[in-house]
Amino acid sequence: MITAMLNRDRINSPSYDQSLLWVTLILLGIGLVMVYSASIAIAESDKALGYNSSYYLVRQAIFLIVSLTAGFVAFNVPMAWWQKMAPYLFLLGLALLVLVLIPGIGKVVGGSRRWLSLFVINLQPSEFMKLFAAMYVADYTVRKAAVMDSFTKGFMPMLFVMLLVGGLLLNEPDFGAFAVIAAISISILWLGGINARIFGGLIVLLVVGFVFLIWSSPYRLERVIGFMDPWADPYGKGYQLSHALIAFGRGEWFGVGLGGSVEKLLYLPEAHTDFLLAVVAEELGFVGVLTVIGLFMWILIRAFGIAKEAIENERYFSALLAQGLGVWIGVQSIINMGVNMGLLPTKGLTLPLMSFGGSGILANCIALAILLRIDFENRRLQKGLPA
Amino acid sequence: MAMHTPLVIVKLPAWRRRLLLVLVLLGFAALLGRGVYLQSFHKRFLQEKGDARYSRTLVLPAQRGKITDRYGELLAISSPVESVWANPSDVKISASQTKKLAELLGFKKETIDKKLANNTREFVYLKRRVSPELAAEIMQLGIAGVYLQREYKRYYPAGEVTAHLVGFTDIDDKGQEGFELAMNSALSGKNGSRKVIKDRAGRIIEDLEAVKVPQDGADITLSIDRRIQYLAHRELTKAVEKFQANAGAAIVLDAKTGEVLAMVNVPTYNPNNPVNIQGKTRNRAITDIFEPGSTMKTVTAAAALEAGKYTPDTLIQTAPGYMSIGPATIHDAHPHGLMTVSEVIQKSSNVGAAKMALSLEPQYLWGVFNLIGFGSKTRIGFPGEVSGRLRDYKTWRPIEQATMSYGHGISVTLLQMARAYTVFANDGELKPVSLLKLKDAPVGTQVFSAKTANEVKSMLELVVLPGGTALKAQVLGYRVAGKTGTTHKLGDHGYEKNKYVGSFVGMAPASNPRLIMAVMIDDPSSGEYYGGTVAAPVFSAVMADALRMLSVPQDAPNNNVVIPNDVEDVKESI
Repeated sequence: MITAMLNRDRINSPSYDQSLLWVTLILLGIGLVMVYSASIAIAESDKALGYNSSYYLVRQAIFLIVSLTAGFVAFNVPMAWWQKMAPYLFLLGLALLVLVLIPGIGKVVGGSRRWLSLFVINLQPSEFMKLFAAMYVADYTVRKAAVMDSFTKGFMPMLFVMLLVGGLLLNEPDFGAFAVIAAISISILWLGGINARIFGGLIVLLVVGFVFLIWSSPYRLERVIGFMDPWADPYGKGYQLSHALIAFGRGEWFGVGLGGSVEKLLYLPEAHTDFLLAVVAEELGFVGVLTVIGLFMWILIRAFGIAKEAIENERYFSALLAQGLGVWIGVQSIINMGVNMGLLPTKGLTLPLMSFGGSGILANCIALAILLRIDFENRRLQKGLPA
Repeated sequence: MAMHTPLVIVKLPAWRRRLLLVLVLLGFAALLGRGVYLQSFHKRFLQEKGDARYSRTLVLPAQRGKITDRYGELLAISSPVESVWANPSDVKISASQTKKLAELLGFKKETIDKKLANNTREFVYLKRRVSPELAAEIMQLGIAGVYLQREYKRYYPAGEVTAHLVGFTDIDDKGQEGFELAMNSALSGKNGSRKVIKDRAGRIIEDLEAVKVPQDGADITLSIDRRIQYLAHRELTKAVEKFQANAGAAIVLDAKTGEVLAMVNVPTYNPNNPVNIQGKTRNRAITDIFEPGSTMKTVTAAAALEAGKYTPDTLIQTAPGYMSIGPATIHDAHPHGLMTVSEVIQKSSNVGAAKMALSLEPQYLWGVFNLIGFGSKTRIGFPGEVSGRLRDYKTWRPIEQATMSYGHGISVTLLQMARAYTVFANDGELKPVSLLKLKDAPVGTQVFSAKTANEVKSMLELVVLPGGTALKAQVLGYRVAGKTGTTHKLGDHGYEKNKYVGSFVGMAPASNPRLIMAVMIDDPSSGEYYGGTVAAPVFSAVMADALRMLSVPQDAPNNNVVIPNDVEDVKESI
């Protein structure tokens, strides 16, 4: 009787993680609405965009349709295929990162060479590299499981590869993407059982390296100084952050109401991209910020829960990848929101699933689709079905 | 199928997973804490910073009140103009736009660049007070960061004719002269304000507080009759030019109410463009004193009649044409011999006036001078008014008492002298003067009995008739009563030998005076300088037109004027 009920429960239980799907769709939806709200004034005042107030809305909507379609396709790809393709996709990512650095091919926006012009849209290889790196490191860790304790056989090859990726990204420069990829890689290595002493050394090396990078490059130093006290130079280096903080202060608990932001009226630069959360904070208040944070936390928690089940099914690549994707979405959203709130220096990182931008949304949607696929395969295995 | 059956056992310790999850969740927790701090505890500070950046208090300018004449004719009115300003840090301007802007504003290109170079300021005037049409053209250039501000420019339709009375305002619309200065606070009203949030492009998004509506300034109705003002200005200007005088002033009073119907000065200036106005802005009729001379004899005679010691027909011996008082001697222009009091006035004998004055107590004579308004301000409410000079009778020496009787050693304003003559038009009652229109005739001060006042008025009629000093003051169809005055000008070292002030004070129609006019010509250098020659014709010309304009009934036939060429003026004593 009881086993029958359990069996029926199992058979009737949904075949995918509904909460994760809904959280993803809600974040995409809030993102679309807020991108529109934040971009109206920017678009209306831009002659190059024909003073078209819905310029960004239309594009973001198209990005969403393309990304959701791509996500649906990715969901139908078995994890075995992803694991098999991981090294090749990583090589493709490296090739794109090289391509983007070639003058004439890579497009410079705002002092950084981050985009590849593909007919109508600009492709940002670093966004896809985050996904490819997570796959590659997860696959590497599984393949090298036996030698993960070894410094020379387990750690050195990965260190070399990461220095290569880091070198390419910092040449664009795209410090934010490098920080996220480093976080993904280190997390997967850590989870994969890397020797604790090696890991300690790696952390020290990274800290030293980050400090060196910041102090060696004047523009990064400026960002750090501007971040420490935006009110010291509120019309210069602290301009953007001071306006973001004012937006938070104006929002109070419940916000000034959707569409009521003053900061988005050309005061706050990048309101529809990197500083979207500030507009959320001003228009929807702390309640809005809390909602966004809660939704991202749920993605992180589900990613680790899915990973745990994958481990129980002895599907280690899926487990590591699920956690890598969770760390990606989690760390990138934390860094972006931390920047918005003045906890971290300005990085040029978007808010996953929400900020305006085709490459970011597409990569995020594929990542979430893969997470759903891992869970989907977990459930099938639990039901005794083939993955 | 490495995926399902790994060749080696992968170590995935659960504690490592939990530690990582907790670390990342701590990151989210930090964000939540920071969010609460920013959006509740720190919000006041942040909102103040925000207000400082995009809230602006806009001034809603109150419209300055109008100044009109007694019939509502405009003498000063504010018309809207635009001031072009820029916020240099917001300005986006191309080279061709700079060129066009410079052309429209009438600047050099470099001037524009220089004004916009100052990035530390958020408000720079490019040009103030341009016409609304030009402002529209400038805004059509579509330069970001360039804005308009509504202001009002004062316009004076009567220009130089009323310049001294009305005055003018400076570029900030603050009164600088005349009534614009005297009644500045009433005229300016109270500016309103509006606190708003603006977007970065300067457009108003919302109001932060209730709009404070501006309170427009009060309108002021002067007692002036613009037509008579024009007449007086025209005739005075003519006389000053003809006799090559340094300056001139004239006042027309309503004889019954004391209202000033005209007050003009030469030289004058254009209040619509007040440049090179040094020495031209003084309303001499109120702010300058002069020794009146023989116009004072009228008051002396009235005091003597009022004291009961004389009648108009009392004979006074003025021979041999001079008189010694202590070491000093006073003179008449011609020896006249035995004269009645009326003749003393008609022919303006210094000796006769002095003898009358010396027969009176100093205290009594001072009391008359004081009561009739000499030595104290008229309180007409005009900036810069002076009180004149009337010394205390206790310090009077006989020679001073004698010379004061014919207007020497005493200083008055032209307004004081005009006011003094209201006594002879109102049965002995001195009317207060006013530059603002009155509803009713004010009650004055009784200085003389009606009998005395009317007897003296009759004497004044003789002055303009053959045998008098002011034949040129006659007016066709109206009887005129008046008195001339001519004095040496007072310089830094006593009287100047060749500089004179000629004046005339009179009223018409003499049977029931309607208008009183006082004219003063300062330093005529053409060779003519007697009041009867330089000032009386101004009186005559203005009175003739003004009385007809006011439809005052005639009290004389149309052939009453004795052609002055036939009979010479009697030269008055100086």
